[in-house]
Amino acid sequence: MNGLQLYFRLIQISLLSSMQYRANFIVGLLGLIVWNVVNLGLIGILITQFTSLKDWTLWELVFLYCLWILGNSLYSLFFSHTGQMEDYLIEGTFDQFLLRPASPLIQVLGREFQYLEIADALFALTGLSLAYTRLGLRWDGWHWGFFVLAIVSGTLIVLALNLLVACTAFWTGRSRGAAMVVNQFHGLVQWYPIDIFGRAFRLVVTGLLPVAFMNYYPALVLLGKLDHASPGWWLPYLSPAVALLLVGIVSRVWRLALIQYTSSGS
Amino acid sequence: MKVFWAFARQSFQTGLIYRFDFWLRVSTVLLLMYSIRWVWIALYAQRPGAFGVSLEQMVTYGVLSTAIVNLFYSFGVQYYISGQVRSGAIDLDLLKPLDFHIHMLARSAGEMLFRLFVIILPAMLCGYLFFGLQPPVTSQAGFLFAVTLLIGYLISFYLGFLLGTLSLVTLEVHSIDWAFDALTRFFSGQFVPLWLFPGLLGTLATLLPFGSLLATPLSIYTGVLSGDAILTAIGLQLFWLAALSLASRWLWRRIQARIISQGG
Repeated sequence: MNGLQLYFRLIQISLLSSMQYRANFIVGLLGLIVWNVVNLGLIGILITQFTSLKDWTLWELVFLYCLWILGNSLYSLFFSHTGQMEDYLIEGTFDQFLLRPASPLIQVLGREFQYLEIADALFALTGLSLAYTRLGLRWDGWHWGFFVLAIVSGTLIVLALNLLVACTAFWTGRSRGAAMVVNQFHGLVQWYPIDIFGRAFRLVVTGLLPVAFMNYYPALVLLGKLDHASPGWWLPYLSPAVALLLVGIVSRVWRLALIQYTSSGS
Repeated sequence: MKVFWAFARQSFQTGLIYRFDFWLRVSTVLLLMYSIRWVWIALYAQRPGAFGVSLEQMVTYGVLSTAIVNLFYSFGVQYYISGQVRSGAIDLDLLKPLDFHIHMLARSAGEMLFRLFVIILPAMLCGYLFFGLQPPVTSQAGFLFAVTLLIGYLISFYLGFLLGTLSLVTLEVHSIDWAFDALTRFFSGQFVPLWLFPGLLGTLATLLPFGSLLATPLSIYTGVLSGDAILTAIGLQLFWLAALSLASRWLWRRIQARIISQGG
């Protein structure tokens, strides 16, 4: 059995086990929809008092939000289990991944399939297509290609960042706090165009924790908000490169983490 | 009472173990204070008079909200109950010669106090120093802010308890909590003050219990509510506190009989 086959087999098993909780499935779907409607509702209320947020109109903000949600939902659908790393390490259950004759990374990733996230993805697609018509966008083939690339990059960026955070648990014992901080950055970037925050924030979400490449920069390109005269106009095109770079970094860190892993021995 | 403090102290001390975690939590709060301030500045730059209050008041509202919201996300009684049901350890809790509500409240209070002293108060201090948080409009408003915040905390505890009780039926709490969290964020006025809500939505928001958590204390602190309006708001808070505590006791008694303990 190769890695990919094994991954899908694990996903299949976890899907079967989560189907046991039927009531939870229904409530979960409703929960996700409420969550998204509420988020957009909050921005909506603010914008009705104004016409825009620093020259981003309501539908442009919907586009920004939904682009983030789409990338993130693909991540959550397949890989959301990275957040549990801390528990495996503290309880010592990580050992079981090392004992089995298969890649530990694939075992961790295949641990759970969050089928509920399909609701998120559908919500985001609906939002994006509404925004597309409302804003009267006319994309050519090149734009569509970049759109698909941006979503894939978004998924990879969030996966790589979350894995990196999860790996910190190998050294510090805990990673949930760090995950929380990263999530706050995600939350801010997801809701607001980053140019309303100060310069320091902009630098952080571009260079240090490049979450802005998930939605803000691709949105600049896709909504035609780019000013080709300004210096650094090429930055928004870099999403795919940033994603690849992060994946490269995380695979190195993961290998280091495994080498220096010592079981908590419980 | 002694038992109450024993449990409260225990959860306070658990909080102290992970120091790295603490620094991360504090920096999260500071980051949010920083950003919420910028959001309001950006919005005010466009239409200064749109909110009926001054920019200083609005920034105070947002920054303070960011700090005190940590009071409500502290212990998560719903997660405790559903976790105990999953692991089967809930039998041990039920065997304890102590009322389950009191037991839960003690654990929750311990963590709440931990958050108050270790995260919220330092964050508020930073708010005053760096993020434009202003002192309460009058000392009376400051006092009433503390009182209404305490009532708000109790209301959030009972809401959490009700959710936890529901998890005995669904056997999973995460997704209900997801929706509940979203509703709380929306209707408590955490980000967008309730007075900005249009028409019917605004009326609904003032009547629901969520407004008691944040909107009421914050509106008193910033001086948006004054005089008789404060009394009405506190009356509504007390109504919800009584209703929710009775409801959670009633539901708990009914549902206790059908507890399914997994594993164990």
